[in-house]
Formats: sequence, C-alpha cells, structure tokens
Amino acid sequence: MIEVKNLVKKYGDHVAVDHLNFTVEKGQILGFLGPNGAGKSTTMNMLTGYISMTEGSVTINGFDIYEEPEEAKKAIGYLPEMPPVYPDMTVREYLKFVMDVKKVPRGQRAAMLSDIMVRTQVSDVADRLIRHLSKGYRQRVGLAQAIVGYPEVVILDEPTVGLDPMQIIEIRDLIKELARKHTVIISSHILSEISEVCDTVMIINKGKLVVMDRVENLPKYLERSMRLKLLVLGDEAKIEAALSSINGIEELTFDRGEDGLTAIFIGTKGSLDVREEVFYALASARCPIYSMNMDSLSLEDIFLEMTKNNVNSMKVQSEENLQNMENDMQEQILDEDGADEGEEE
Amino acid sequence: MLAIYKKEMRAYFTSIVGYLFLAFFLALIGLYFYAQNLYSGSPNFGYALGGVMMFFILLVPMVTMRIMAEENKQKTDQLLYTSPISVTRIILGKYLSILSMFGIVMLITCFYPVMLSQYGTVNFKQSYACILAFFLMGAAYMAIGLFISALTESQAFAAIMTFVVVIISVFASQIAVLLPTGAKTAWLIFSVLLLGLAGISYAVMHNITVSIVIAIITELALFILYQAKPDALDGAVLNVFGWFSISDRFTDFVYGEFAVSAVVYYISYCVLFVFLTIQAVKKRRWS
Repeated sequence: MIEVKNLVKKYGDHVAVDHLNFTVEKGQILGFLGPNGAGKSTTMNMLTGYISMTEGSVTINGFDIYEEPEEAKKAIGYLPEMPPVYPDMTVREYLKFVMDVKKVPRGQRAAMLSDIMVRTQVSDVADRLIRHLSKGYRQRVGLAQAIVGYPEVVILDEPTVGLDPMQIIEIRDLIKELARKHTVIISSHILSEISEVCDTVMIINKGKLVVMDRVENLPKYLERSMRLKLLVLGDEAKIEAALSSINGIEELTFDRGEDGLTAIFIGTKGSLDVREEVFYALASARCPIYSMNMDSLSLEDIFLEMTKNNVNSMKVQSEENLQNMENDMQEQILDEDGADEGEEE
Repeated sequence: MLAIYKKEMRAYFTSIVGYLFLAFFLALIGLYFYAQNLYSGSPNFGYALGGVMMFFILLVPMVTMRIMAEENKQKTDQLLYTSPISVTRIILGKYLSILSMFGIVMLITCFYPVMLSQYGTVNFKQSYACILAFFLMGAAYMAIGLFISALTESQAFAAIMTFVVVIISVFASQIAVLLPTGAKTAWLIFSVLLLGLAGISYAVMHNITVSIVIAIITELALFILYQAKPDALDGAVLNVFGWFSISDRFTDFVYGEFAVSAVVYYISYCVLFVFLTIQAVKKRRWS
C-alpha cells in the first residue's frame, strides 16, 4: 500500500528526516509518534507529495509519488496541521470544490457530499462561511475534505490538536470509524491518543526511526518495565541475602520505611514477573511482607524512554523487530482477508 | 483546471476586489473615452486606451496580488498540491481567471467604437486592433503580477512589488532617455540589472550557489565586453530599456499600424511569466 524507502529530507545542513524505511499495509492504522520537531509533519508532507524528498522514494499503491504524482495522489486524502480551508466559502461550497479538484465523478457527488457531512457531523453548519466556524468545526471540515473521494489512504497530521476534550473524543471516534474502510496514518505527540486508535505505532525522534511495532508489543522494548515496591519487616542484609537467589532482578534499592519497616524497590528485566518468587523467598527468610505494589510503566514512560538520547542501541534492536513484525503483519492481514471473504459469502 | 478557474472567479465576486476592479477600470475607460474622443472630437479610440494604460500600475496588482499569495498564506496550497492535479493546470486555471476578469472589461469596451460611430466615421479595424493590443499588453503585465504573487505569502508585498515592476516598465523609455548614454554608465546600470537578475533566479530556484555563479559569470562577461568594446555599450541602455517597455509597443497600434512583432512580444511575455510561475511554485516545494 505505502512503501517508504530511505526517505531523507535536508534543509541546508539540517537533516529533518533521516533515512526512514517503513511500509504500511492495507487496512492498517499507523500512529506516527514523536516529540515536537521530530520530523512528523515533514514526513507526512513528503508522503503526500506536498514537498519533495532529498533522497529516497515513496510509493503509494504502486505509483511513485515523484514519478507519477497524479496517480499516487488519487489514493490519498490529507489533513495537514492547519486545515486547508478557504474562509470565504461555505462548508458546502468548499466540499464541492474539493470534489471538483479530486475529480469525483459527477453522478456520485450528491450522495458523497451528504454522506461525508453526516459522518464528520458538519451538516448543521453546511451553509455557514468557514470564516465563522470554531476551531473544532474547521478541523472537522478539514477531515471531511480528507475523505472526499473515499481515498484508500487517509493521512491526518495531529488531528486533535487544539480541540476540547469532547471534540477530541468525537474526532477519535470518527477516526476509528474511518479505519474500517481506509488505511489511516495519524501523527501525534500524545501517545495515549495513538494507542487508543492505532494498531501499529511508529516512534521517530530527530528524523530517525526509533521503533515500529504493534501497540501491544511496545513494553518489551523497555529495559525494565516492572518495578515492585515492598514494605518488609527485617534488616537490609537479611533481605538482600534472601532475594539474591532470584534470577532476573536488575535493580534493588533499599530505603528506610516507617515503623521499622524497610522499603525495597525491585526492578526486573523486560516484563518478567517475580512477585511469587519474592514472596516465597522473603517468607522462608522470615521477613514478613507488609505490602507489595507493582508499578508497570505506562506507554507514556515508554515513549519518554525511547525518545531520550539512548536511541542508537534501541535502533538496532528495533530494526530486527521491524522485519519480524512485517512478517507477522502480512500473516495477520492474510488472515483478515480470509475472514472478510468468509463474511461476504 | 476548470475547478480552479471556477473557484477563482467565485473568489473575485464574493469579495469586493472583483467588483472594485471592474468598476474602477470601466470608470477610467469611460472617463478617458469622454475626454479623448467625445470632448476632443477624435474618432481614434486608441487615444482613450493609451491614457488608461498608465493605470495598469494600480489595476494589475489589484487583480493579481492575492491569486497565489493568499493560498500560500492560508496553507490551502497544501490541498491543491496534494490533489491529483498538476501544478501547470493550477497555474493556468488561475491565470485564466485573471484574464477573464480583464476580458469582461474588454468586452464591454468593445461597445465604445460602435457608440462612437454614431457621431462620425470610425476606423473599426484600427479601434479593435487597439483593443486587442491593449488586452494582450494587460495580459503580459498580469502574467508578471501572477509570478510575483507566487513568490510570497504576503499580499501587500505582492502588490507593492507588482506596482514597482509595472511602474518601471511603463516609464522605462522615459527613464532611459534621462540617463547619460556613456559606456561607463551603461556598464554600471547593466551590472545592477544583472545582480537583480541573479536575485530573481534565487527567488525562483532557492539555490544560492547557482545564483552566485550566474551573477559572477554575467558580471564577468559584461566587464570583458566593457573593456574590449566600450562602443558596443554606447546607447545600449536605451535599447535594453526599450525591450522591457511593454507600453511603448502599444503606440504603434494607436497610430493605426498592426504591429505583429508587438503581438508576438506580448504573447511571449505571457508565456514566459506563466512558465516562470510554474517553475517557482515547483521549486518552492522542491527545495
């Protein structure tokens, strides 16, 4: 569906996008994540053919965006950071103009117009000038514009920025609904937003790919994702001796707790769960546990960790995973296709 | 192309600019028609148009300033350039809408010679040749305005630049006459012009190295010419300003001569600047 190879964008000496490689399969919802200035918008502008790349290629539906721009662009609907709306047009006029520009066949226009306006909930402002609409409505009109012609790929650049919580939920629902028929790429710097609607996440930082994987696989990229906090009765030496027999403990720190208790923090590798071992070890050492809590790192922590400076070590790891994941995805898509066909029959 | 054209025409008539342009233009033509033809009793409609000509310095920026700059500013160009429509078609659609606005004025103007014929003998061939030449001349100026608008996000900047360029072009021959004709002045003036040319090349291509190379090579060539054959530069300023004087060529038509070379000249201007606009837009996104 979308194939990006070796994508580079340089502005003078500044490298905005640095050798990105990825593919997006049909029906996938890809979340494009990175801190501000990571190169998200630049990449999206290159995917849609708005700006050129310094090196590399983007292929959409088999058409190279540079060699055959018109064919490639037919498959794309794009909502840039700032909705590209004309303030002097009404919503209806604007969407009609977009249909004109995107060459929607005349016979389909009336039906498509009302369908899109209902789906993006702009019917009630259809005859108002865009100039007079609120930011939330403009964003929805921008979204309506992106799905005109029902393109196979919908690319949305920070679609929920500047909206109030209610509007964010509405837009999110709309995106989920879109995802049923379209391949969707969304960018954001907020991870919770992406994890809610996307099946795959791609994190970039300083123009480089940090990691690309399915949402549920993200925790495994952390050096430690679990952290236990215990309050135990007993002295440090005794506890340390008891816990030394357990494999997989990476981090062990002690603190003075209240009422003569000792607070212990235990960090483990990956998603290894050592609660049971810890319980028995301390029980056999006759150090009663008063409380045991598990902090599992949230996706936000993952994001922060991954966009910190230790990018390089992770990149190697993530490239291996990328390959595995592509294979996985292909299998899954085959499965889904099979399921779809089953339904149709 | 048609979609863009329709959108631009609607934009002219939903804002006040379109009406203002038409009203102002028609009022000027009416005024000069009254002064040059009715009041002075002359059947030559070319005189009226010749008088209106200098108002291109206001009329051209009025109709061209927003055509590209507004899209750049509002980022609606992102919609256009990510749609399955080529840059060439977008620019042509926009240029055609400018020409249509101007064409409406010219169509109405076509009634003036007929009106005039009620009071005496009118040379229709000459009058309509004048109107055609006037249209082509305006089209050439408007192509320049289109190009300037594509270089910027600011309508005000586009308007001022267009105003300056058109005013230089309208008064080019008068300015040239005032300048000394010596080879040294010619060398100085051409140096400045070539630097300006390099500046334009930078605005179009956004490639500083190429622009500097162009500047150095052309300046060097000029210097060698000045050293080797100073006679060649004698009076050259007048000639060169003559090339750029779009308005001068109109005079032939007023005196009843159908100057084919001028028609070709105007059309080449239009084609050149529409082409430059397309290149500027592509380069702006390609840099």
